[in-house]
Formats: sequence, C-alpha cells, structure tokens
Amino acid sequence: MTDAPTNGNGSDWPGAPVHTAGDKRTELDELIGHVENGNTVAVGGGLSSREPMAIIRALIRKGVKDLNVVGSAHGIDIDLLCAGGCVSESSESYVGFEQDFGMAPNYRRACESGDVKVNDSCCYTVVQQLRATIMGLPFMPVRSIRGTSVFDMHPEYKTMTCPYTGEELTLVPAVQPDVAIIHAQYGDAHGNLRIEGPPVADILFAKASKKVVASVEEIVSNERLKELGGANIPYFYVTALAEVPMGAHPTACYPFYAYDRPHTKDYYDQAKQGAEAFKSGYLDPFVFGCTSHEAYLEKVGGEDTARHLGSWKDGDEAWMSLYGSTPA
Amino acid sequence: MSGQVTLGETMIAAIARTIDDGTAAFHGFGSPLVQLALHVAKRTHAPDLVLVAGATYGINPNPPFLAPTSNDWVMDRGSEAALDIEELFDLAAAGRMDRMFLSGLQIDKWGSCNVTRLGANELKLKLPGGGGGCNLSCDVGAMTLWTAAHRAPANDQGKRRYRLVEKCDFITNLGHRTLDGRRPAELGHRGGGPDSLVTDLGVFDFDDDGHMRLTGLYSDTSVDDVMESTQFEPKLADDVATIPLPEPEVVELIRRLDPMRIHERELQPGDRKRGFG
Repeated sequence: MTDAPTNGNGSDWPGAPVHTAGDKRTELDELIGHVENGNTVAVGGGLSSREPMAIIRALIRKGVKDLNVVGSAHGIDIDLLCAGGCVSESSESYVGFEQDFGMAPNYRRACESGDVKVNDSCCYTVVQQLRATIMGLPFMPVRSIRGTSVFDMHPEYKTMTCPYTGEELTLVPAVQPDVAIIHAQYGDAHGNLRIEGPPVADILFAKASKKVVASVEEIVSNERLKELGGANIPYFYVTALAEVPMGAHPTACYPFYAYDRPHTKDYYDQAKQGAEAFKSGYLDPFVFGCTSHEAYLEKVGGEDTARHLGSWKDGDEAWMSLYGSTPA
Repeated sequence: MSGQVTLGETMIAAIARTIDDGTAAFHGFGSPLVQLALHVAKRTHAPDLVLVAGATYGINPNPPFLAPTSNDWVMDRGSEAALDIEELFDLAAAGRMDRMFLSGLQIDKWGSCNVTRLGANELKLKLPGGGGGCNLSCDVGAMTLWTAAHRAPANDQGKRRYRLVEKCDFITNLGHRTLDGRRPAELGHRGGGPDSLVTDLGVFDFDDDGHMRLTGLYSDTSVDDVMESTQFEPKLADDVATIPLPEPEVVELIRRLDPMRIHERELQPGDRKRGFG
C-alpha cells in the first residue's frame, strides 16, 4: 500500500509532501500508477547506468502520454520513452549513446518530427532549478547561460542585477517534478533507498519531486541497509517501491550487473532503421510482448544473462570482455 | 601501425599538453581522447592534477581499462573520493575549476560550440545536447576544444559539411563571442574561454582578440588542408610548427590504458590508419 501524502505547510507551494506510510512496498504495475499523463518526470540514473528501465517499459505498456522529462545526461531511457510515444517535451541536457553508438535515433525522430518539444537544459541549470524547490525558493541565480542560445530558447529564464554587487545574473525558476522514477540497488520496506556508486542527480530528484517511485534490486531490512552503508534517500521522500531484480537492464546496476552492451547494440541497430523497424524489431518483442518484468527477463536470457553480466567481478579480463574487444 | 604513433595517440598527447600541473580539470562524457589525455597528464607532467572524471565525478580514478561508456564503475575504480553533481558545478561557478574540454558538431572561429541543433531557424537535425557544457563554458578558467572530424571532404556536388564554421546555428557552449558579437566578459562571465583546439588536421590557439589561430600541423597535413576544410579563414601563427609526437612512454601508457582502443571510435575511419614517425 502507498500513503496519502500530507503537505506540512498546508500550501501547494513550495513544499513537497512527506510520505509517512510504514510500508511502501508494492508491485511494479502498481508503482507506475503514480505516473500520470502530462506529468513532469525526473528519470534517475544516467547514460548507461542505473536507469529505471523496467519502470519505463511498464509505462510504455500502460500507454502513458505527454510526459515532460527533465534531467542531466541520459540515453536509452529517454530514447525508449520517445519510441513508446510517452513524451511530449524534453528538458534533458543530453540524450545519446556517447561515442559508443552516437546519437539517439528515436529521440532524434521525435524531436525532428515535432512530436517532442525540444527544451534542452544544462546540468547545472537543472541542479539549480531542483535546489530552488528543495530550499523552498521560487528561483535560483546562476552566473552562466547569458549569451548562449540556450538562454534565448528559454523565455522563463530572467536576468537581474545583484543588489549587493551590481553584477548581472541569470535566474532560473524552481522545477518541481511531479514524480521521480528511480532505480536503486537497495531499499527497505519503509522506503529508505541506498544508491551505490555515482548517484547522478537522483538524490536531488528525490528531494525536489512531489512523488518518488523506486524499483530496487533488493528490499532488505533497515538493519541490513545500515550494514551496507546506510540510506542516501530517506524514506519520507519516497512514495512507493518495488523489488525488481535486473530492473535497470540493459543499463548497468553494479555490483549486481554490468551494462548489456550487445543488447544495447541490437537496440541501436533496430532504432537506426526507422520507427517501423524499431517497433517490430524491438518494441513488440521486448516491451509489448513481455507483459511482465519476469517475461522480459526470460526474453533477454534469464539466469544466463544475469550471471554473464555479473561476471565483471571475476577480474579485469572478464569485465573487459563484456564490452566486446574491437572498435565498432 | 606497429612502430608508428597513431593520429589518436598524437591528438591525446596534444590535448594532454594543455593541462597544467597543480590545477583542477574535468572531462565530460563521451570523450575518450580527452579522458586519456587527462590520465596521460596525471601520470607524466601533471602528477598534482586534480582529475575529475565526467559522469562518475570520481577524483583521480585509475580505471583498469577505458570503457565505451563514461558512467560505468570501470571509470571510477581507484578514485580517491567522489563529488556530487552539484559540487562539481559549484566548483566551476565559484572559479575553482581550471580547465574543461568541449566539442561540438559546429565550432566557430571564436570557439563557440553547437551540440544542440542544426538549423538556425527550422530544426534540421537534433543533436544529443550539451550536458553541462553551457554552464561550464561561461565559468571554467580555460577550455581545450577538440574534434576528430575537422576534415570536410567535398561531396559529389562539391559541397562540404564543415565542422569548423563561420557561425554556429546555435551556441550551446560559449566561446569568445556571442552570436551578436558580445564578449563573455561584457556579460560578466568569469571564465577565460577556449585557449586551444586540437583537431585531426592541426592545433590552434586563440589570439588576443579571441580568434582561432593555427599554430601546428601534423607531418601529413598542410595549411591548405586546413583552409580547405575550414569555413572561415583561421589566423596563422608566425611559426606554424609540426605537432610533436608523444614520447614512447606516453604511447605505451595510452595503449595500456585503452586496450580496446575505444578512443579510435572518435576518429573518422580513414584517420584510424594515419601514423607518424
């Protein structure tokens, strides 16, 4: 069960609710019920790590529409959401596959056709907009951006003269995502989350968003969570969580599994051939054709794949072999 | 290739030479030439470099090998500590980040870069976006720009798709001028802007006016090659030198750090065969 959020200061602005329920555990399909059409969604993780891919596939199956996605550096997560027709605006700072494969084909198509409004941001701008919300402020100043085309693209950015120094500064408005979707390594029943390795913007997302829904590799006791090093997202930010092993696949979720590069290459090759080819070659078999996360895991190789991607622990040679040995 | 130094290795060494000891420098994601240059600098002339890795924000990592993606635990193995995303950008905004490395599908004569979109009015091609580059370009002490796609061969109709352009369609990362000709200092920006550019055809600095200036060529490129592939006319240094080849120890270091030769994915296919020495 999930809780009915309360808002401590009794107003819509700027406080986000605190989520006080004792037991936040639920199932993936119920978890995604917190994401509604038209929401501003902060997608956790970054590039090829710890992206909430099981949640994203479930959102596509559900047919969620008109999301505005906000964040820093992303890849297959936003690309797949665009292919699934879920996105109407992108305020990400990067969506691509780095030098490994290049531009994100579905994202590009969606932007270039006009289906997705291009509203590119920049990492520090996003950070400052989230921090404004976290601090209960309507905006934050930034020194940078003025003089770039990014400034011209955003009529909501303003300038002011600092009353103390006389300097001109850029102001960026607070951003409060309706919901953050996050995949973490561990959580407990109360909703405390432990992210291992780079948290990217997830902790900021959790503090700034009205709701946080999380999939985790393992739900453990609070005692065990503390043994592992403790929570970095306290439970009261979190609306609901579900145990979804391999929930970030094909992105990495160390120490459980590395990035599934062959799967990602197949994804990319299909995506590059066009929207129709991608639908029949990827969306149908891996998203719509797998009615549950368990069915997806079977489809991508089940235990064998999990074991293989976990073999990074066996040493540098084993780790390196997961990426293939020759340049593309 | 054996016995020869490759173009990629020579570019890495040239980028590494722009990094001073006792400074803090940060690389973004998707930039293996730069990642390797920072590791080379740290392990040769700049042992006191504060090396901040892009995507993981690990400090002074010692990755066992270069991975094809930046936000991977491979890339922050051995880090002494790590920064949060806000901490990294706060450091730059507060003037404590000495150098950053940026690129673009368009780079103009003032060193501004476009990684957002082609088409000044109508969107013709959506690029991946600039990550943290827009903010950082205004804030960091100095920037090294790089591209492995300077060469712009003519197509059947004799048209060239320039990487080095007269004017960017969109400025994501600010160089020494805005699109309407203002200088960053007039806007109150504290960053020093780009001071070097390393490409597959040559190396450049920026003159006192902030204009790009050719200072070095490879043994297999000429001033004409550069002019032909550049949409504007770069200034020429009084003495355009030959870009020095990396020392054998540096070459060995690069080959050890990048056994899968991930950095060659940045190069044009024909350039992977170029070798010197």
